[in-house]
Amino acid sequence: MATSDIGIIGYGQSVYVKRTDRTLLSFLAEAARNALASAGVAKQELDGLAVSSFELPPDNAVTLAEQFGISVSWAYLGTAGGAGPVASVIAAKRAIEAGQATLALCLAGDNYDVGGHYRLMDNFNRALKNYATPHGFGGANGLFGIIQRKHMETYGTRPEQLGRISVGQRASAVLNDNALLRTPLTLDDYLTARIIADPLRLYDCVLPCAGAEAVIVGPLDRAPAGKGVRILSGYERHNHPPGEPAPLRGGWELFRDALWRDAGYEPHDMDFVQAYDDYPIMVAIQLEDLGFCAKGEVGAFLGRHDFAWNGSLPLNTGGGQLSCGQAGAGGGMIGLVEGVRQLRQEAGRRQVKARRGLVSGYGMVGYGHGLSTSSIVMERTQ
Amino acid sequence: MTGGMSAYPQPHADADNHPLIEGWREGRLMIQVCGGCSHTFFYPRPLCPYCWSAELSWKAASGRGTIVSFSLVNRPNAPAFFAEVPIILAEIRLDEEVLLIARVIAREASSIRSGLPVELVSGPEAARYPLPTFRPRQ
Ligand SMILES: [Zn+2]
Repeated sequence: MATSDIGIIGYGQSVYVKRTDRTLLSFLAEAARNALASAGVAKQELDGLAVSSFELPPDNAVTLAEQFGISVSWAYLGTAGGAGPVASVIAAKRAIEAGQATLALCLAGDNYDVGGHYRLMDNFNRALKNYATPHGFGGANGLFGIIQRKHMETYGTRPEQLGRISVGQRASAVLNDNALLRTPLTLDDYLTARIIADPLRLYDCVLPCAGAEAVIVGPLDRAPAGKGVRILSGYERHNHPPGEPAPLRGGWELFRDALWRDAGYEPHDMDFVQAYDDYPIMVAIQLEDLGFCAKGEVGAFLGRHDFAWNGSLPLNTGGGQLSCGQAGAGGGMIGLVEGVRQLRQEAGRRQVKARRGLVSGYGMVGYGHGLSTSSIVMERTQ
Repeated sequence: MTGGMSAYPQPHADADNHPLIEGWREGRLMIQVCGGCSHTFFYPRPLCPYCWSAELSWKAASGRGTIVSFSLVNRPNAPAFFAEVPIILAEIRLDEEVLLIARVIAREASSIRSGLPVELVSGPEAARYPLPTFRPRQ
């Protein structure tokens, strides 16, 4: 997907909370309202709506339009879990380029807790419900423990290398008032935390929570001066490779070359990476398969980088899901919103000197692993 | 505890998967074979995922395989499992070259290794579990 004058002109986030009486719709509304203010757009100007949310059914994108009182000419319901929100922005950009809409609100969020996460995973899809839930599989943790062990045994990746992701992101979260986990974390804390699903320990796992994220896609000249974010390239892939329950890849490797070619940049040109961080092992696999290091060499790569906002490779600079919490499908947009915030120079105490960056999504756990991947490269407009 | 009284979550039987669920009640692991392209596969589907043929038949797998990788789950997803932690959850490569995710039963979870040969549990033990379940090969 090539660049154009359609990009991201505003962003918004709700408060993140561990447990709440508030409804999912109220979180989505809060993020949407903040995105409108950020873009300087009036609600009645919106004519496109995308939403990614696990807990939204029986509602959908169209009934959400009714709730929000907007009439739209383009509606999109995310189906790719944590890869869905980035995919929705790619689709919104294309829809606007094709003339189907002019200003699209892309929303993602959920309202659940630890118990809700297990209920969700037990019924996530037919294959998991029928062939994993009866085994006591332990939700996503049990499945990603299998993947992490395989990566460790195949390539020699070590926990003290993976832990640098959780530790670096926590250093950024300390400066994010909306992160649920803001206590500084040491590598020793990471390595000695209780085991959740061996080899996964506590700080490999996310805290399910409530929250929502939003961006507005539209003509860059509608953004407040200097605040537009250009989308240089974007790709997605689903169910790759077919037939493997626990692959050490997910589809990024198929579109990596096209992603960088279209963007006109290479991995080392990125001022930050916002990678989907349901588990550090999946961040590591994204770094490999998006070309930051060779396949199988991510352990050494992790060992020589610092991933805090002010480190050698700023990664998930708001703390990511690992420190902010995982608001369900909102986890697929938290990195996008943080990336836009950084490119608009609005990240406050954790501001990176950022001109451009990568955002990557992953998710929709099927029979053994996340089926969906998506990535975009973004750049600030001057 | 017998299979019928188990508090474990149960798979939902339908027209596509009932040979798997009924076969396991007799201790067999049933997998599908495609008449169009000869691939075998798991989990049950109404079409061959390799060639989309609907010409499918069932066969009992040997019940033997090896652990590819595994996790030891301390926080399973349902209370029925809480007294049995860690749940050994493994990716298993059957001798028929089919990959599946299944539970392994072992007295000592610390004895489990990738590459370990496994086989189906049998007899009254098999009746306890809702789906084909393995143990280290004896
Ligand atoms: Zn076939």
